Amino acid sequence: MSFLIPLSVFFPLVCAGLFLIVRKKLQTHKEICVYTGVVMCVSALLNVLVAAFSTTRELSFVLIRITDSVSLTFRADGLSLMFAILMSFMFVIVGFYSFDYMKHEDNTKRFYLFYMCLMGILSGMYYSADLVSLYLFYEMMTLFSLPLVLHSLTKEAIKAGFKYLFYSIGGALLSLMAIFVIYSMSTNHEFAAGGFLDPSLVNGKENLLLVFVFLAIIGFGCKAGLFPMHDWLPVAHPIAPAPASALLSGIITKSGVLAIIRVVYFSVGADFIKGTWVQYTWMVLALITVFMGSMLAFCENGLKKRLAFSTVSQVSYVLFGLSLMNPVAILGALLHVIFHSIIKDDLFLVSGAIIHNTGAVKCDELNGIGRKMPASIISFTLSSIALIGIPPASGFISKWFLAEGALTSDTGAFSYIGPVVLLISALLTAGYLLPVMIDGFFKGNSEDAKEPFSDEAKPLSLVPIIILAALALILGIFPGIITGFLEGIAGSILP
Amino acid sequence: MDFIMNFPFFSIMICMLAALSTFMLGRKAAAWVAKGALFITLILSIVLTAWLHASGESFVYMMGHFPAPWGNEIRAGELEGVMAIFTSVIALLSIVSGRFSIRTGIDDTKQNLYYLITCLMEASLLALIYTNDIFTGYVFIEINTIAGCGLIMIKNTGRAVAAAVRYMVVSLVGSGLFLIGTTLLYSVTGHLLMQNINASVACLAADGSYKVTLTVITALMTVGLSIKSGLFPFHLWIPDAYAISVMPSSAMLSGMVSKGYIFLLIKLIYRVIGFDVFESTGVFDLIFIAGIAAMIMGSVAAIRSGYLRRMTAYSSVSQIGYIFMGIGIANNAGVVAAIFHIITHGLTKSLLFMTAESFTAGKEDIEVGDLKGLGHKHPVSAAAFTAAALSIVGFPLFAGFIAKMLLANASFTEGWRMYVAIGAIAVSTILNVVYFFRCIINLYGFGGFDGAKDDSDTETSITVQSEESSSAYHRNGVYVSAQSDCDAAPTRCEKSVHGICAIILAVINLYIGVAPKLLTAILTKGLNVFN
Repeated sequence: MSFLIPLSVFFPLVCAGLFLIVRKKLQTHKEICVYTGVVMCVSALLNVLVAAFSTTRELSFVLIRITDSVSLTFRADGLSLMFAILMSFMFVIVGFYSFDYMKHEDNTKRFYLFYMCLMGILSGMYYSADLVSLYLFYEMMTLFSLPLVLHSLTKEAIKAGFKYLFYSIGGALLSLMAIFVIYSMSTNHEFAAGGFLDPSLVNGKENLLLVFVFLAIIGFGCKAGLFPMHDWLPVAHPIAPAPASALLSGIITKSGVLAIIRVVYFSVGADFIKGTWVQYTWMVLALITVFMGSMLAFCENGLKKRLAFSTVSQVSYVLFGLSLMNPVAILGALLHVIFHSIIKDDLFLVSGAIIHNTGAVKCDELNGIGRKMPASIISFTLSSIALIGIPPASGFISKWFLAEGALTSDTGAFSYIGPVVLLISALLTAGYLLPVMIDGFFKGNSEDAKEPFSDEAKPLSLVPIIILAALALILGIFPGIITGFLEGIAGSILP
Repeated sequence: MDFIMNFPFFSIMICMLAALSTFMLGRKAAAWVAKGALFITLILSIVLTAWLHASGESFVYMMGHFPAPWGNEIRAGELEGVMAIFTSVIALLSIVSGRFSIRTGIDDTKQNLYYLITCLMEASLLALIYTNDIFTGYVFIEINTIAGCGLIMIKNTGRAVAAAVRYMVVSLVGSGLFLIGTTLLYSVTGHLLMQNINASVACLAADGSYKVTLTVITALMTVGLSIKSGLFPFHLWIPDAYAISVMPSSAMLSGMVSKGYIFLLIKLIYRVIGFDVFESTGVFDLIFIAGIAAMIMGSVAAIRSGYLRRMTAYSSVSQIGYIFMGIGIANNAGVVAAIFHIITHGLTKSLLFMTAESFTAGKEDIEVGDLKGLGHKHPVSAAAFTAAALSIVGFPLFAGFIAKMLLANASFTEGWRMYVAIGAIAVSTILNVVYFFRCIINLYGFGGFDGAKDDSDTETSITVQSEESSSAYHRNGVYVSAQSDCDAAPTRCEKSVHGICAIILAVINLYIGVAPKLLTAILTKGLNVFN
């Protein structure tokens, strides 16, 4: 059943190509939505099928051998399956939300064209079994998500789009140089837990390799909003339409995380980096980003921009967990990948509904909004609680594992500093998310209350919002649904 | 002797004879003669390369039955074969696709002369590639310069003449330096044939005599050839020459003419001076540093210039920097990477100039901001332009990625050069992204996609400050907008031929990017038997 992997990569791309041909025939918004919806669901189903067939044996597929050392290969291991399923689920949920949201936007055909392409490209990235394939799909992801940022084609959008492009490509190029170095020090280039380097080739060039691994972390970390290269994220995410912001924050940032895992744990090997300056610098950068992102979000008044800063902070929780190189912390990081995707997508979808229905774009314009759109704001509140990490909501679980991992890791003072920074950041998170709910329910003139539900989102948008909020809560109460699977992955990452 | 060994001689002579016959012919007949000659050259080169690759050898061919000290010689190996294929492909596709440009840009009475110049250019390049005699090399450098001037000047405007004169002056300085180097070398060694010089130089180097002279000779010849190929400090003739001339001229000048000199330089390194002697003179460091500077400065200039063809021309400066950097790495892998990049860049840059013609629509040049929405109007050209841009940026699956990978890999064994090379590749690539993606987003971002709504009139577009280039236009007293001297549109046939040529080049580029094994194997093998 190995052909399922290339199928799940190329099916959305081929469908997008067909869309390009028949786009003149699709007249109404409904027809576009039906086409996209079907493609979306089938692609998601293909990814599920890959996962289902992977339970018996690992699927792999060689697409093309370019030279002796460079080839495009796919393989479905636990990590790629986790990301692929998460991506499929999010794209379907956000897709349904967008059918309502995009009704009032121009250029929807372009939006959905790239939406479909992205599904295939992201699958390709997740299933990549070597660094060159990963790099190829990583670059394609940048290029194909760019139109989503540029969508409105206003001056700000173009500026933001360019910022996004240059940061991402710049970061990817730093990583490409690292890939060249890693390739020169190995003979077999397929990802393997613990790394695939040839010790005889590394011998004597350890420092060189460390420098380039660090560059790769910075380069791929750019997509994840890691400190020195985070500046594009709060500019580019808010300018996109709400569904696109949700996916950029929830899914695209996580591909930077995946790329870092692939380089550190599957190419170079954690043993090589453990205890070196790379690990500590990485940890420090991640902690700086955690604190800085929360602080900036706390000071920011624009609703979507606040959420974007929050993404900067939260994705670095994941990077901090990965930098500890400890199975428990990795489990926490993987859990946080999933939980943060769900929560941040929900927050962005609600903020999209608020902006769309009431026109409010600033956090201090939200007085009394809880009475106008109660279901959305309750979902927002639930997600906020989950992101802050109040038990029993989901964020608590992941942060618990992260803190436990930090305390049991032998990283000296960092095993205490880390949890403290996480705690401070959680307080700040409460500080920037809860006022939305407080203003929404308790402030404002009472005459607004005459028409409850007056600005509530349409059912098609509301259902995804509620589903995501419910998931954020349920996965917190019953984390056993996924922790078993993720423990297996964490164990396989760090043999 | 096999009959096939005559092929290099045949291909040079066929181009020469075609050049001689075209000036008596009418415009149409001249076009067919030139295309036929180039096509035959292409076939001969392919057959020759296949034969050489199969037998794995190289041969020296004596011209006119005069033995060594007096006669001329031709040398053909796999490297020469590949270069011959490469130049004839680019020349052929350029003039085939450039029919519209030639028809509208050149006086009716002079059009047959354009084909003459093209054939002469191809003949001189083939001679440069095949020659085994350093003085013959010099003679054909001069012929090449004259043909190059003709390619620029044939468009009879004041600015074209000015560009051609500038090209001529700079080129003559370059070939003058090369001639001085040749004379010195002759007086030191007493030979003109490459392998004889090589043997004498090896003796001299072993003796330790004429050390300074050898260094001077190497430096003079290298500098002369780098001036002619437009390496960084000597690149100022490039933008005018490439951006003002008619499209096939730009495609040929950027794609293959400057590359012929680089190949001659490689020949000089391996077959005349000898790699070890060349390395001991320290000229490699010079080439390396100039190459790095070109990579960065060319891209910066491309970003600053706001016009499409001018930008593409400056991008050539940066790509030539890559090639020289590859040579300057000073090992075999670096030279293989450099030759690979010669081919990659030639294919890509001629494709860029070819497609730029559709966008400029008869004008001499076009501002990058005016590309808005043209991607929907010219889908084939825009797609080919995008492919070429991705290749230059170094996107996997395109030839440019392989070239960059070979360059980076070659530098790994070379100490400090590695850090500089990798850093420069990264910086230059980011700069490439800046100016090419500005074009691509302008091409596709605006207007026409949803069919219903055409927003090409919107005020927003991605424009840039173009101080440098607009001042250049001011200085010559002519504005680009005033230059739309032709109102004719390309006919249907011209358009489809142009599209097919662009697609062929893009497909070759993709093929090299997906299956580079054959080319790298030929280049590596060819270089091993080069000395």
